[in-house]
Amino acid sequence: MLPCCRPADVSVCDSELGPPGWREPLDCVRASELCNQNNQCSSRYRIMRQCLSGGDKERSAMLASRECQGALEVLQDSPLYDCRCKRNMKKELQCLQNYWSIHMGLTEGEEFYETSPYEPIHFSEEFRHASIISGRRMSPCSEAGKPCNPCLDAAKACNLNETCKRLRSAYNSICSKATPPQATSANQEPCSRKRCQKALRQFFERVSWELSYPLLFCSCPDQACAERRRRTIVPSCSHQERHKPSCLELRRTCRSDALCRSRLADFHMNCQMTPHSVTSCPHDNFHGCLMSYVGLIGSDVTPNYSDSSPSNISIGLWCSCRGTGAQEAECDTFHRDFTHNTCLSESTDAKEKPAEVTADRDLLQQQIAANANRILQRCINTPSFC
Amino acid sequence: RARRQKPCTLRELELTVSELGLGYESDETVLLRYCSGKCTAHRRNYDITMEHMMRTGFKKKGRKDKVINGPCCRPTAFEKDFSFLDNNSRYHTIQNVSAKNCGCV
Repeated sequence: MLPCCRPADVSVCDSELGPPGWREPLDCVRASELCNQNNQCSSRYRIMRQCLSGGDKERSAMLASRECQGALEVLQDSPLYDCRCKRNMKKELQCLQNYWSIHMGLTEGEEFYETSPYEPIHFSEEFRHASIISGRRMSPCSEAGKPCNPCLDAAKACNLNETCKRLRSAYNSICSKATPPQATSANQEPCSRKRCQKALRQFFERVSWELSYPLLFCSCPDQACAERRRRTIVPSCSHQERHKPSCLELRRTCRSDALCRSRLADFHMNCQMTPHSVTSCPHDNFHGCLMSYVGLIGSDVTPNYSDSSPSNISIGLWCSCRGTGAQEAECDTFHRDFTHNTCLSESTDAKEKPAEVTADRDLLQQQIAANANRILQRCINTPSFC
Repeated sequence: RARRQKPCTLRELELTVSELGLGYESDETVLLRYCSGKCTAHRRNYDITMEHMMRTGFKKKGRKDKVINGPCCRPTAFEKDFSFLDNNSRYHTIQNVSAKNCGCV
């Protein structure tokens, strides 16, 4: 049974703050354990993993076979079918691999937008992010007379915190360290990309968002500040490469890795533009969009600011769609989700928007009130909880 | 009135990287930890002997050696590497700048 809190502890009672009627889905590690306890399920699961083990071409042929189709049918009724993973959970990678071991078969890996294996970012997380967004949007430079550089303030706050300083220094030094020149080849790599991206992922996973997000989403009055913001993730190592691949090639690379594939699906789910909301983000949840954007940093599709313009924020991947021929339209669609995404630019945009801030806050207060009321109702009905 | 000296401890100060005097120009703020304080409680027979030797002992034996006649408050360990972005948007990593522990050695 879920733990309940007193009405005064609204903020700590995460399990109560989800949308009404929302039940926590089973995580895929647990789901696969449950499946393995059942003879039929576990044998089909084993077959399914074999169906997906080959390369791209073999896979679709394999999946079309009677055996694989039969296995898929059985698994659709298993707990594996609608399991999800939690962000930063223990065994996250294993959970994601379990997820894709059935979901890749369902779509044959051909869908443009895939369903995110992560739990939806629900209200409690939005709530936690609200303060940073509103604080950031309201007034980046409050103290008159002092030189204003919110990105520098963010660096200071990070340096004064042991964990943030340690992990920031760790990725900065790994990402800006040149790999030792190889005796055989003259072309020295600028850095160890894989190690750099891992250190970046660790930074964003282990440092609290209160310290890490301001470094990445600081609002800038001038170019010097915006250049600092652009350099936050050491793009020369983590973002750029000597060779600029086609965006579809980049997506293919990403999809061959369970973690990258999941983060990309999560980004598409949370930052997808929609005409049905004011902010053009799904459910006006631009905090969700920011979270899934940060999730991509340190993956093969690491996005970044394209230039050091302080106000006109443009974001992109290190890839291009030139020369992709017949697939150019598909390629553009994929890349435009980063470069021309109003949901994403609204979310990262630091411009002051007082009217919107007020609207957000009003909405938030209504939601808080509604949730507090629900908890109170539950307590009244079941006093033993409170 | 004589000021009572505090024993050797770790102290801290917020500084910009430029103020560290290492030749880097960066407005990033860093916490500098350093060692300061008295080590009078940590004197050993060695220190008493050295004090005596400095006063008369070495001269009598025809030596002009100078020795430090008491333990000093110094870092016994340094913090891990620290990285920062300078004002020209370049990253640097510096080592052994900030103390982690202090001791009378």
